[in-house]
Amino acid sequence: MIGGAQGLGVDTSATIFGAALAKAGYYLYGSREYYSNIKGRHSYFNVSISDKQIKSVTSRVNILATFDAETVFQHFTEVKDFLIYDKALEGTKLEMVRSLEKEIADEMAAVLENEGFGTTLLDVVKYLEKHGCKAIPVEYGSIMSGIINEMHLQPPIAERARNMISAGVSFGLTGLDKGYLIEAIKKTFKNETFVNLNILAINAGYALAKDHYGLKPLKIDGHRIQVDGNTASAIGKVAGGLRFQSYYPITPASDESTYIEANQMIKSANADGKDGGVVVLQTEDELAAINAANGAALTGTRAATATSGPGFSLMNEGISWAGMNEVPVLITYYMRGSPATGLPTRSGQSDLKLAVNVGHGEFPRIVVASGDHNEVFSDAVEGLNLAERYQTPVVHIIEKTIANAYSILDENSIGLKGAKIDRGVLSGGSDDYLRFKFTENGISPRAFLGQAQMFYTGDEHNEFGHITEATSNRLKMYEKRNRKLDLADAEIPDEYKLNVSGDSDTVLLTWGSPKGAILDAMDDLKAAGIAIEMIQIRVFSPYPAKKVAELLKGKKRIIAVENNYYAQGAEILAEHTGIMPTNYILKWTGRPMTKDEITDAVKSIVNDDIKKVVLHGGE
Amino acid sequence: MEENKLEFNDWCPGCGDFGILRSVEGAIRESGLDYKNSVLVSGIGCSGKLPHFVNAPVSGVHTLHGRALAFAAGIKLANPSMKVIIDSGDGDTFGIGVGHFVSAGRRNVDMTLIVHDNGVYGLTKGQASPTLPRGEKTKSLPKPNINDSLNPVALAISSGYTFVARTFAYNTKLSTEIIKEAIAHKGMALVDILQPCPTYNDINTNDWYKDKVYEMDIDPVVKDPSEELAKKNAALAKAYESDGKIPIGIFYRNSLIPSYEERLKDDIPNYLEYYPAMQAIEKDGRSTSSVDSMIERIRMV
Ligand SMILES: Cc1ncc(C[n+]2csc(CCOP(=O)(O)OP(=O)(O)O)c2C)c(N)n1
Ligand code: SF4
Ligand SMILES: [Mg+2]
Repeated sequence: MIGGAQGLGVDTSATIFGAALAKAGYYLYGSREYYSNIKGRHSYFNVSISDKQIKSVTSRVNILATFDAETVFQHFTEVKDFLIYDKALEGTKLEMVRSLEKEIADEMAAVLENEGFGTTLLDVVKYLEKHGCKAIPVEYGSIMSGIINEMHLQPPIAERARNMISAGVSFGLTGLDKGYLIEAIKKTFKNETFVNLNILAINAGYALAKDHYGLKPLKIDGHRIQVDGNTASAIGKVAGGLRFQSYYPITPASDESTYIEANQMIKSANADGKDGGVVVLQTEDELAAINAANGAALTGTRAATATSGPGFSLMNEGISWAGMNEVPVLITYYMRGSPATGLPTRSGQSDLKLAVNVGHGEFPRIVVASGDHNEVFSDAVEGLNLAERYQTPVVHIIEKTIANAYSILDENSIGLKGAKIDRGVLSGGSDDYLRFKFTENGISPRAFLGQAQMFYTGDEHNEFGHITEATSNRLKMYEKRNRKLDLADAEIPDEYKLNVSGDSDTVLLTWGSPKGAILDAMDDLKAAGIAIEMIQIRVFSPYPAKKVAELLKGKKRIIAVENNYYAQGAEILAEHTGIMPTNYILKWTGRPMTKDEITDAVKSIVNDDIKKVVLHGGE
Repeated sequence: MEENKLEFNDWCPGCGDFGILRSVEGAIRESGLDYKNSVLVSGIGCSGKLPHFVNAPVSGVHTLHGRALAFAAGIKLANPSMKVIIDSGDGDTFGIGVGHFVSAGRRNVDMTLIVHDNGVYGLTKGQASPTLPRGEKTKSLPKPNINDSLNPVALAISSGYTFVARTFAYNTKLSTEIIKEAIAHKGMALVDILQPCPTYNDINTNDWYKDKVYEMDIDPVVKDPSEELAKKNAALAKAYESDGKIPIGIFYRNSLIPSYEERLKDDIPNYLEYYPAMQAIEKDGRSTSSVDSMIERIRMV
């Protein structure tokens, strides 16, 4: 784990550290936590390393790399092996760190005082040594001034390299050659001064550590990428043919849109193809964002928007219009801590039922929730396909924790090359074209604005698109629209709608990000003699009711695992099947579940028959 | 089939919207517009029904209250070959949708916004709209209007609209001409049409307007950037003229400001020739959009 004040390069050093491990053949999952703040507040990256693809972090930290006092005070209880800290701060007292939230400060002071320690950073070091951890003091100040003198730099420019010293120490502990780290630096920074500066910082840190973990370079087959959820969704959408994206800035959604804008010229894979541009429109609000996307979709352009809770609330009416007018539009819903602005930079799953019921009225909504970065890629493409195939809005849920975490993935596991594109039934237009033609399965062949005369209206309409309130038409048109959800239910395969892993009479029923922690906990649980099965729901509308009921039949324990209070995914299960979970593992603190939390919670449910476990790990 | 194509017109007899309808139809015809090259977008209100009533082979998109401009921008930017004409109520435009109205000026997307300015929320039975002056009590209001009114022409000019005009619903000759000019103008155009609502607004009636409106004689065209400020100030002064007469005509016209579409060309050089709606994204069921360069950038090994 590496932490420090926001805006001082914690992200960069965690990314570089990860890139270096990737070059040595390791897989990573790095989870990012930060305040709704630009500069100064505490932020950290929790990075897990493995020789196989992983999808979660642990709450037991091997190495805590710090260069400020706040990170030490906030996280020292999580450390198992090493604390890297600034020697100059040894005298700093916990109560002097004003940005440390009072609740946390009180809690941590109590931990120290309980064992007879004072509240200085040196007391923390002594506390850790008593608990079998090693502390590595780093004289950041003198190292930095040495480097600054050597390179004749201005201190403010050089300061950002401070955290690379601790990355160097951590890398030294892994036992891997520092050449990997230097390579990663060269790839990240183009400016030669920055490269040299950071290499000096790495060297200084690396020299302070001895090999502890004995990691050896691993063999690598094929390419590997390092990707976060925002980028995965952006790339997936572009691969899926997106050509119009509207957005209003909001955390943690906007990074997706700005990434697309930065990469908006798209090369065509056709030999004779022309490069084409994606229009990215920053609107005045989310009302404009959804409705501009609706408008763009009517022209036959694949169109989408991206937002999180507050913006999604504003989009309700526009999504309802899209349902009424059978508009293929994709809304990427970055879910964060609600209600209201809630925990703006933390994660959550508390808006699932909002997504499933978004917009007033009855119309088909397709709702897909990704459980990891691989799924984000494919769901972004598939979201655009489903929207056009069923001519209805699609909501793609990506939780903040997935959006901001990064993974090292095998490049060929993301499957974007020549991705499948399904534009649904197209008409091309004709003189007697009927946009809302009654058909057996409810799908009216689609023509785009410009191809035929057509009308759209949010009022009930006839086949041509004109307003009518006649009950005979209402009866048929209403059913035609809603029948499309039955079709989607029949056509979307169960293998897409849900994932099953393991086989046991103890089922962990989940969706979204807990998937990673559950999968990663399976081995530990097995070692403890507990076999589990995970069922991850990926499509909540149309809900795979029959399949889930079949899978849950005769199970002894059904444990709902969700990052919310009501277990909304389980409520949807109950609504469709009448099946209720027997137990719950819930967390609504905005922090992701870790594999140890899952392991411990399942143990207490299975061994001690606890009904409901509420998690609160991480800060 | 044909009986499908025109919807029964249910506006009140004598409604000023009929005049606007005739003018829009005339402008469409004389500008050579049809469903292939244009679309009518509207908001919600009596005014919002206009596309359904137009006797011309055009398509219509009847959207949400206040949001017509947002839909229209999406249509236009995805398919800039389309002429996009928006009909919107004064409540639509300056009440619930005023944020979009102001933002549209900053963008200068090449579209034409026609506002049905009747001083009331017609379809919800005559509440005061943002253009009804303070103190006026139409027969539909229980008390005199407590809010000050805004001036659409002045707001458009200060928001960056590059074509700003006001006409009168029953002067269909002038309205047709001005709508045609607005359509031909490259940039965001406002045509504010003073529209009697005989059912709810018994103050600003046809007779009331007839005595007051006059076709002004000013040169609204900015011919050089150095004239911009002076022309804007002149237009604003005219917009606020209040000696019992109401000037109609074109207040301001500036073709020197690049449209949003032209601005986009800085980032997407072939945007106008190869816009989103015409791009082939699929061949034999497979994506033709290469993401290789993006993947390369995140490739670690
Ligand atoms: C979000 C929302 N709020 C309220 C309404 C109800 N509503 C329908 S029309 C209208 C007012 C229309 O007034 P205006 O825009 O001036 O159009 P007019 O009828 O005068 O042409 C309102 C408030 C609505 N359709 N949508
Ligand atoms: S209420 Fe007024 S604006 Fe609406 S149709 Fe009747 S007269 Fe026209
Ligand atoms: Mg009105």
